[in-house]
Amino acid sequence: MKLDPAIRDQVLGTVPSLRAFAISLCGNIDRADDLVQETLLRALAHIDSFQPGTNMPAWLFTILRNLFRSEYRKRRREVEDADGRYAETLKSHPEQTGRVEFNEFRTALSKLPSDQREALILVGASGFSYEDAAAICGCAVGTIKSRVNRARTRLADLLAIDSVDDFGPDRATRAVLAGGGRN
Amino acid sequence: MKTRKTVDVEAPAAEPDAPEPRDAMGRPLTPRKTEMRLGREAQARIGQQLRAMYEAVVNEGVPPHIADLVRKLGDQDDGVA
Repeated sequence: MKLDPAIRDQVLGTVPSLRAFAISLCGNIDRADDLVQETLLRALAHIDSFQPGTNMPAWLFTILRNLFRSEYRKRRREVEDADGRYAETLKSHPEQTGRVEFNEFRTALSKLPSDQREALILVGASGFSYEDAAAICGCAVGTIKSRVNRARTRLADLLAIDSVDDFGPDRATRAVLAGGGRN
Repeated sequence: MKTRKTVDVEAPAAEPDAPEPRDAMGRPLTPRKTEMRLGREAQARIGQQLRAMYEAVVNEGVPPHIADLVRKLGDQDDGVA
């Protein structure tokens, strides 16, 4: 039986986001594309286990994450990116030339523990609900929430974003307001 | 009017009992730690940068070799390579 074109389009429609997630996991574009390819091979071989009408992105993300995790366990030392390799590989990405601020952000992101980074990306960038993110990561919703919170707090620390300061226009606005209130 | 405080929604609402040293702009001199609750602006900024980074990849679309792979697999009888 041929693949339903509607299902095929759902798969193709998820690929861009799946790649972005894969790059955030393995920090290397070539490996990320291999991982995406492997995910699609596996997904299409088991397409019968996908229930039409359910969340295709969540299904594919789960497969990709599981593949990555099982590979990661095997090659832990190779892919360890605590030394900022993640940031380095992203810097060489042609689409991401750029601003100092951006590089700082990626470097900071690379310093997060992988479970926190993953949770933050699923919720904050891929746009999954906490429930979907929990299903993808195979953990409780509360665990995802706390990972996301810790990730945000840690990033703010690393980027020296203060809880109230550090933003030009708003700070200027606030200064004007504060000045007005004091006079 | 000196005692009246402007309460900014993004700033921590309550002042600590002991007055903090502040600069001319009324900002605390000692850097605040982020352990309490991240300000809305900080969260927004982090979210914005995160999405920008992610979308740079998303905007590349589907690489041709992956599109070919999906079409090829989809056309096969059993869906298996």
